[in-house]
Amino acid sequence: METAVEVTNLTKKYGERVAVNNVTFSIGKGEVFGLPGPNGAGTTTTTEMIEGLRKPDAGIITVAGLNVSTNGDRVRELIGVQLQSTALYDRVRVGEAVDLFGSYYRKRLPAADVLARVSLTDRKRSFVETLSGGQKQRLAIALAIVNDPEVVFLDEPTTGLDPQARRNLWGLIEALRDDGKTIVLTTHYMEEAERLCDRVGIIDAGSIIALDTPRNLIAQQKLASAIELIAHNGHDEAILRQLQGVDKVTREGNTIVMHTRRASSVLVDLVHAAEGIGLQLDAISVRKATLEDVFLELTGKRLRE
Amino acid sequence: MTALLGQMKLEAMLWTRRKETMFWTLAFPVFFILLFGTVWKNDTWNGAPTISYLLPGITVMALMMTCVVSTASWVVEEREKGIYRRLSLTPLSAYALLGGQIGIRYVVVLLQAAVLIAIGVGLFGADVSGSALLFLAVLTLGVLSFLSVGFLLTVVARSAKSAQPLAMIVLFILMFLGGCFYPLDVIPAFLVPLCHALPSTRLCSALGQVAIGGMGPTAIWEDLLVLGAWFVACSAVTVRFFRWE
Repeated sequence: METAVEVTNLTKKYGERVAVNNVTFSIGKGEVFGLPGPNGAGTTTTTEMIEGLRKPDAGIITVAGLNVSTNGDRVRELIGVQLQSTALYDRVRVGEAVDLFGSYYRKRLPAADVLARVSLTDRKRSFVETLSGGQKQRLAIALAIVNDPEVVFLDEPTTGLDPQARRNLWGLIEALRDDGKTIVLTTHYMEEAERLCDRVGIIDAGSIIALDTPRNLIAQQKLASAIELIAHNGHDEAILRQLQGVDKVTREGNTIVMHTRRASSVLVDLVHAAEGIGLQLDAISVRKATLEDVFLELTGKRLRE
Repeated sequence: MTALLGQMKLEAMLWTRRKETMFWTLAFPVFFILLFGTVWKNDTWNGAPTISYLLPGITVMALMMTCVVSTASWVVEEREKGIYRRLSLTPLSAYALLGGQIGIRYVVVLLQAAVLIAIGVGLFGADVSGSALLFLAVLTLGVLSFLSVGFLLTVVARSAKSAQPLAMIVLFILMFLGGCFYPLDVIPAFLVPLCHALPSTRLCSALGQVAIGGMGPTAIWEDLLVLGAWFVACSAVTVRFFRWE
């Protein structure tokens, strides 16, 4: 796969504190690469160095084969960035903002196409200050793609949005992914990283401690899944506990929870056993381990603290 | 060059949409000259209509509104909003960005001077017989000096909340100690040396001598020197300490 971003031995210190410690990774063309992490883990500093906002103390970053430190001007033509805060003049209309940012680049997409892409065509004449939070974020993404960039950076695009606006934005990011855009996504939401990202790099205390697809990260940690079913009488638990591969059986009200690392084989055994003891399996559900669990396991921290 | 013109266009558009800036830089000075012109109508001083002596002062006040107050408040606000940070991620150069902000203010000052002179001469018979070219040159040096004061305030002010009041205080000091509306004789003697060091005093003096007195550059060299010194000193500090974020 062609490489879009290459980061080699990247280090950044603030005084005595090492914010980013000898980080190396590469992002393939067309890949959605996630850097989930809480504030202060080093994700923001890392992306800001790739974008050229901060200078690394050591290490090399290339974007589309260009060294960011020595070819900043050319790199800026090829990237698009959505920052956490909107960072735009209040008294500018949506359409004017897209035209304005388009005028900064040699290569630009027609403003009408960009507005349609982010579903803001009908707000074209509205002042930026009158937009809702979700609309402001969509405009920020419009300004990030107006130059048809090679790499798009999205910095916590859904922070502070209501669930509907969040899903709306996920759809937009998925559409960009389907277009073959390379996307670097930082987020506080693990479900977001799990849903959108092809690969995820988990940074803790300035170092990358895991890097893989969300599915592999979850599989590698061999975290327990939970099989939940409704109990009809009190005698089932002992039998369920004897099934092979079951680590633990707990009861929460009339719900029985079986913890296992081998959910599929346990499920087969469970179906057989259920007949013998007359257990109803109508309300059965399997809760898989999530990226959030992986993160907690690896770093000992919750994402949002 | 295209980028600079684009930024000028943007800044001009933003200027017309900032109601308070439009009021203080255009409506307020016009109101001032209409008021003073009406009050001192048919009044003369040293053989010339009194309004002739007030015209440079009102022009300097308008120029300070544009170069000091609007610069300090808007640049700090845009910085605080993260606009410059966002723009630094685009190919737009800092020179074009800065050039647009300086350029629009120069255009506004020329507009202010033209309107004020037109009203002063047309309605109230102000006497401005001096060299128009020299007047323009002095005004240009004035724009540079006061812009450097405005940008210096963006270094001093930490937040948009403090920038506006700070700029207003500086404006009032420069306006009232600068003898914009009255001769320096009425100011307590111990303050007069300070007054002579202020750029506002020097710009009023230079503009007045050129416009009313018809003086040449040799008569106002000292004023020009002080204005130039303010420009160099404030710019040097600003260049050293200015932050885009």
